[in-house]
Amino acid sequence: MDWQTLRDVVLQFVAITVAFTVVLLIVAYTVLAERRVLGLIQGRLGPNRVGFGGSLQPFADLLKFILKEDIVPDKSTRFVYFLAPVIATMAALMTMIVYPFGPEVNLPFLQRTTQLVIARFDVALLYVLGVTSVGVYGIALAGWSSNNKYSLMGGLRSSAQMISYELSLGLALIGVILQSGTLDLYRIVELQSRWHGCGWFILWLQPLGFFIYLMSAIAETNRVPFDLPEAETELVAGFHTEYSAMKFALFFLAEYINMFTVSMLATTLFLGGWNVPFAEDLFGRGTLLFALVSVIGFLVKICFFLFLYIWLRGTLPRFRFDQLMNFGWKFLLPLALVNIFITATLIFLNVL
Amino acid sequence: MLALLFILFAGIAIGSAIAVVAQRNPLYSAISLIGVFISLACLYVMLAAPFLAAVQVIVYAGAIMVLVVFVIMLLNVEQEERRTRLSFLVPAAVGLAALLIAEVTFILYWVQVSPVTPAGNVSDTGLTASIGTGLFTTYLLPFEITSILLLMAIVGAMTLARRTAELPPGARVVPGAQVLALNIIDPTVPLDDTTAIEAHTTVEVAKILGIPDDHDPARRD
Repeated sequence: MDWQTLRDVVLQFVAITVAFTVVLLIVAYTVLAERRVLGLIQGRLGPNRVGFGGSLQPFADLLKFILKEDIVPDKSTRFVYFLAPVIATMAALMTMIVYPFGPEVNLPFLQRTTQLVIARFDVALLYVLGVTSVGVYGIALAGWSSNNKYSLMGGLRSSAQMISYELSLGLALIGVILQSGTLDLYRIVELQSRWHGCGWFILWLQPLGFFIYLMSAIAETNRVPFDLPEAETELVAGFHTEYSAMKFALFFLAEYINMFTVSMLATTLFLGGWNVPFAEDLFGRGTLLFALVSVIGFLVKICFFLFLYIWLRGTLPRFRFDQLMNFGWKFLLPLALVNIFITATLIFLNVL
Repeated sequence: MLALLFILFAGIAIGSAIAVVAQRNPLYSAISLIGVFISLACLYVMLAAPFLAAVQVIVYAGAIMVLVVFVIMLLNVEQEERRTRLSFLVPAAVGLAALLIAEVTFILYWVQVSPVTPAGNVSDTGLTASIGTGLFTTYLLPFEITSILLLMAIVGAMTLARRTAELPPGARVVPGAQVLALNIIDPTVPLDDTTAIEAHTTVEVAKILGIPDDHDPARRD
């Protein structure tokens, strides 16, 4: 291994560490934000005692999870029982590396230009879909290995729900792929920089695709109103009934990281990624300030989605299981096919 | 470095493949099979075929194996009991293993002595664009035939799983009969029984024959 490769490996390692740390911090504060916003919606305050205005609450929660008693059910399938939360968290974190956080930037002092993306490769979008689909096993195996009826029901519901909605999710993305002609996420974001950074795909031909993606994404992350796998009024706590302490925390973490990555994908594909309107004209291409504004723009768009998630949780009731399946198969799936048809026709007629 | 990674992924693939057949618990076998698929995907990436790797994970690990795990969980399949296997399987397995090893040795030997030097490791055959171009130009016919085959499989599965089926117009049922006779399904064949009743769907036939309907909404509690 020569010097050049070693430097690249170290740089890559630093980039991954920074991205993971920032994302995990944001995820921790999403939990706090969720509790505060839910409090607002329900006319109460939410946690506000630990630190200034509750700002240290996530760390207090983490400490509580670490210190709690770790209970393992006697008749559980031990190996799979321990493997399941690891799969869930790992699959959630692994997609993080392909999202472009910002544009090309000239690094000061290093005389080096770099793109603010950890790994850029040909099939980035397919990689995201693949890793996400492996994440199902975390929940399904957790439900099975706990040796508990409610857990098993939760696991079964979850796998049925996730393989159903994965279809409409994938089909919703095809419109964007047709329009951009590539699976490389960085290139897709670059294509949306037209018209001073206003060429967002949601505005140009993909509002329907965006809607379908949003619905399926909420179902994929098992959030209200599609949180059947952990419906507390029917299944105690669903697939994680038998999980306690840090292993439960891992599932919790995986759910919120999934929310985050799904929002990242929605932003990247439909809301222009890091494109902030007129930022390039103001600051100039490649400057540090432009990169900073772009990254902040990217994060603001993600926060909008996270807020949407919390908002939905505070205001919507849960679907019944047959309603969930009917909605996925009889409404979203045909709609996604119609979207593909419209997009393909318009591209064929050279309207775009 | 590459050789090290290859040994790692190939080792995981072989180990998981052995675990698939050695495990007694069906779910453990399924998990091992997922391991095989994922390490194969890693090997595809090393062979500069990222598209194939991604599709391998999405289709096999992400869709097919989820269904397998789903079915194992739903039926709650118990651990298979140890029983005596068919005795001819052991020599057959030994023979097939010898054949496989011979094949691999042969290929490795001929790659070594082959006068053609392989092209550099930079190639675009594994990239999405070139695979798409190939599928929709040179290999369009096999691609379309495969799609039609898959479509037929889906339609067939749906027909088999369907609860209510339409009968040809004029189909008649004889009350008290155990099965539908051929001349009842086919109305062109003349009937000799005058008690036959006309029916339009399989549900109506079941009602006339007195077969209880499990999926009747009125009977559901």
